[in-house]
Amino acid sequence: MRDDPGVKILAFDTATPATSVALAPGDGRMLTRRHDPAQGERPGHQALLLTYAVELLDEAGLSFKDLDRLAVGVGPGTFTGLRIGVATARALAQAHALDLVGISTLHALAAAHALTAATRDAADAHAAPRDEAAAPAAATILPVIDARRGEAFAAAWDAAGVTDPAATPLLAPAALTPDALVAAVQELPSAPVGIGDGALRFREQLELAGVLVPAGDSPSHQVDAAAHCRLAGAARPHARDEVLPAYLRLPDAELALRRRAAGIHRS
Amino acid sequence: MILAIETSCDDTCAAVVTRDGEIRSNVISSQGVHDRYGGVVPEIASRHHLELVEAVVEDALQQAGTTLPQVDAVAVTQGPGLVGALLVGVATGKALAAAHGLPLIPVDHLHGHVAASFLRPDPIEPPFLILIASGGHTLLAHVKDHGASWGSEGSIEVLGSTRDDAAGEAFDKGARLLGLGYPGGPALSKLAEEGDAEAFAFPVAAQVPGLDFSFSGLKTALLYKTQELGEEETTRRRADLAASYQRAIVETLARRVERARRQTGIERLALGGGVAANGPLRERMRALAPDLHVPPRELCTDNAAMIASAARYLEPLPFPQYLGLDAFATGERGI
Ligand SMILES: [Zn+2]
Repeated sequence: MRDDPGVKILAFDTATPATSVALAPGDGRMLTRRHDPAQGERPGHQALLLTYAVELLDEAGLSFKDLDRLAVGVGPGTFTGLRIGVATARALAQAHALDLVGISTLHALAAAHALTAATRDAADAHAAPRDEAAAPAAATILPVIDARRGEAFAAAWDAAGVTDPAATPLLAPAALTPDALVAAVQELPSAPVGIGDGALRFREQLELAGVLVPAGDSPSHQVDAAAHCRLAGAARPHARDEVLPAYLRLPDAELALRRRAAGIHRS
Repeated sequence: MILAIETSCDDTCAAVVTRDGEIRSNVISSQGVHDRYGGVVPEIASRHHLELVEAVVEDALQQAGTTLPQVDAVAVTQGPGLVGALLVGVATGKALAAAHGLPLIPVDHLHGHVAASFLRPDPIEPPFLILIASGGHTLLAHVKDHGASWGSEGSIEVLGSTRDDAAGEAFDKGARLLGLGYPGGPALSKLAEEGDAEAFAFPVAAQVPGLDFSFSGLKTALLYKTQELGEEETTRRRADLAASYQRAIVETLARRVERARRQTGIERLALGGGVAANGPLRERMRALAPDLHVPPRELCTDNAAMIASAARYLEPLPFPQYLGLDAFATGERGI
């Protein structure tokens, strides 16, 4: 996971209420735009995603056809947000036959945290004291996204290998109740650091289970498309029609239908 | 040439239409996955649109023998419809257009149903009256010119619309009461062929003033009738019930059209929407207006050629003005 010089990648993520867009113009820079809705404000995905993408391309003096690769966060997250991101990415890729990579939003959170921790540890060797808001380093990273309805989307990776796009998670992405999440944490090889809006939402339960949750203003909690850009640079592109949201949840109508079917079979 | 995308309900559609209204391609992928839920499920429709839209667009371009950079503009249904379904089309349309710096033309779905009548080889020129009846909408309008502005001063003046169920919904709900499953509209019409339309007298919504429609009273009347007859007798007389019920829907629509023709003095009539495929409805309307205009079936049900057709009469938004465009669920007309 390095910034491969020369490779131009546009990445974005709309799985959470944030709209995050990043452009690696191929000269070692990383240009970014983001929007985090204020309390009560609607997400800006549809209004801002393409606007930011075009702004960044303009800033770099590029257009869509100059890109080598697109990366999109496939969630898990809000269904509507995911569909805006994935539909946009697939259409842009289709228009210029660009390579497309779907990146797990949970994986991107974990990878971004591992990179900041590594950078900070290097800096710490020279200068103390530590920033209070900084995330503690841990051997296991537990990204958690608020799944609404009192549940969390969560996964876990070993910090050592997490920046490899093909890294196998210690806990595969799943929609979990707080109790199931705590039970999953107990199975991890070491006490993890918990990041993401879901880690903040379930801070109390997670801390009781031994999870380290950084301060609320830590950047580790924010999905940042720069991480998608970096992961995508080293990833193998997917077939475009394979890039779909990781919903991790069936539609309500399907659940209701299955419950009814199960009820009929039982009686 | 205009490439259009339509994803307002459960059909994923793309089409290429020339500036003068010739259809180069008209691809419709009906999802056909909603029957087991007894209705269109917005979340499931949205998931399928996302899976299908790329291939549908690719097909439309290929069948038209063109490529994206060769089209003049991309048109997309902005609303009304299921908002989650619409936004897949809007995000796709915006991204396809932006990728090549093409203009984007957002289209009102109902303007699309009207503009289906403007397509070759058999276009009809305004002014005319149009009855659009489908599972999602039922309205009667006076089409004054090709444009999309609504209202008495605009291009399209809505004279009447449904107060409750859409006509197609009335068919489906009646079918369910007769045990024909979902979507039962076509099955009900099929069954009605063997029945006596005069066997039962169902109300034709005379209680609604003006040119609006109402089908809830009719549905209730059918429910009471089946209760009165009992299960056995209902089953025995199912064809008669279906025929009489269908006749009541057709009469409800026809009486409003008749009144609208008298009020406006406009005699020419066009049909649109999926219910336009109904045989007895066409017959009844043709009796009213011998030069009745009915586009081919695939242009009556939801499709993207009609969206492209409507787009021909709208001002395109140049790149990058449309990058922030959003879908809307309901029109300001509330229909
Ligand atoms: Zn329609």
